Amino acid sequence: MSTASPIWISDLTHYYNRKQEMPTLDDINLSIPQGQLTALIGRSGCGKSTLLQMVAGLLMPTEGAVRIRAHTVTKPSAKWNMMFQKPSLYPWMTVRENAALGLVFAGTYKQKKDRVEELLDMVGLSEHKDKNVQDLSGGQQQRVALARSLATEPEVLLLDEPFSALDAFTRTALQTEVAQICHDQNITMVLVTHDIEEAVAMADQVVIMSHNPGQIVGEKHIPLDYPRDRNSGEFITLKDELFAEFEKIDQAKQKKPFERLEVPKREVKPPVDDSLQQAS
Amino acid sequence: MSTAQISMPAEFFSQLSVNFKKMPVWAQSTINSILGMSILLFMWWIGGLLIANNPDTEAFADFAPGPALSALWALIGTEFLNDTIISSLERIIYGLFWGIVIGVPLGVLMGYFVGMRQVANMPFQFLRMISPLAWMPIAVLAYDTWDGAIVFLIVMATVWPIVFGTAHGVQRIDPNWFRVARNLGADGFQMLRRVIMPAIAQDVFAGIRLAVGVAWVVLVPAEYLGVTSGLGYAINDARDTLAYDTLAAMVVVIGVIGYLLDAVAVFLIKRYSWHAS
Repeated sequence: MSTASPIWISDLTHYYNRKQEMPTLDDINLSIPQGQLTALIGRSGCGKSTLLQMVAGLLMPTEGAVRIRAHTVTKPSAKWNMMFQKPSLYPWMTVRENAALGLVFAGTYKQKKDRVEELLDMVGLSEHKDKNVQDLSGGQQQRVALARSLATEPEVLLLDEPFSALDAFTRTALQTEVAQICHDQNITMVLVTHDIEEAVAMADQVVIMSHNPGQIVGEKHIPLDYPRDRNSGEFITLKDELFAEFEKIDQAKQKKPFERLEVPKREVKPPVDDSLQQAS
Repeated sequence: MSTAQISMPAEFFSQLSVNFKKMPVWAQSTINSILGMSILLFMWWIGGLLIANNPDTEAFADFAPGPALSALWALIGTEFLNDTIISSLERIIYGLFWGIVIGVPLGVLMGYFVGMRQVANMPFQFLRMISPLAWMPIAVLAYDTWDGAIVFLIVMATVWPIVFGTAHGVQRIDPNWFRVARNLGADGFQMLRRVIMPAIAQDVFAGIRLAVGVAWVVLVPAEYLGVTSGLGYAINDARDTLAYDTLAAMVVVIGVIGYLLDAVAVFLIKRYSWHAS
């Protein structure tokens, strides 16, 4: 398996409307490594969710482009799948039917029935497959959404604060499980969060974003093994360093709230490996 | 000793109430339903007695349950009654069919586009309040056949509840359901079949249930118009021939069929309902 970046974001700028003085996203250049988990962190309004929706093909940037391998992303696809903050399950379907929906849309459910069963077992819902999704807890519902996202065998899984509505116990457990799945199944994941601990717990690298305009101001590698001990010295140091980064941003922003931060022009590697050009 | 206790009415009723509450829920509801029907029958019977004993109205004594039910018994299974019922049901089904064909798409548009809702709301609420029977002169002018005119009246009765029911259902759709489905690769048809239709089904059927109720009520007076078949015609005919027992029997038939139509609609609502129990 190649380690080339499957996702390549180049010179991306976005305005929600033309009257905006500051772009929502300003000259974003980013490449995301294969089979790893990248976290985008920043305050609300820094455009991190907007950026993720552009990777998903749910929004089109004003300038620049997102490429996933050889494709310029212009529309959603089951190959690059998104998980939202709310599970948004379909209440007229059972757990199994919800998880199978992407395969039903693709017309491959009959061949891949077993995959749905395995995924539901993997996310710990073996006992609940025939239940109505409304009878599940919030954490269980998010697990169904996870199985649903994984069923179509996406190359890329995009996570838009998917754990923020869950209680602390469930959240911690799911963070660990999802990071594990990312590496076990070699799925490239991009996580949007404003929770620094979540980023350090899950990510291989953290991309730090600032707001007004939304720009990338730094990147940090998290060289910890899984499962991660949240009380270890290294973990806490990394967390503190990230907090310090944000304090620096805040200080700069207090002086000049609506100005670009000076950051070096970012170089991104173009996606070398196009061998996986899909017919889809 | 025990007879002495039961002879005290208060004691007797409290005993009865305690025993009743011990019964399973289905038994309680069945007993209550039978009780309700018995009260209705009893009042009918009292009404019949009053009519029979008043010299001014004794000619109408056949309205009472006895003659009516024996007339009904004689009618059941006859070709006349079957044809009558089938004619009425045909009109209802045509009316309902067109009500759905027109009402559901209109409702979807109204539910989906705020502008459509704002434009359509006042005129539709206005039209909804007009008794379908008020369209009768226009219907008679517009249609060559009486049947056509009656179906038109039924459509005017059914279309509004279906429009508003559908619009309500569409408004309640969670926008995230579209986003997720699109994200999972749904095309337009799949979106309709797997997301929109199941999402609104129960509200559409709730609209249809209201529509069936109004349509059935409107049907009988509509059949007083020129047609020579159907329950409304049969009632009118029974009146003209002074066959009051047949007339009352027809009223019973109308009630029973109306109840069954409603039960079908309730079944469909339950079948397609997805709200947590």
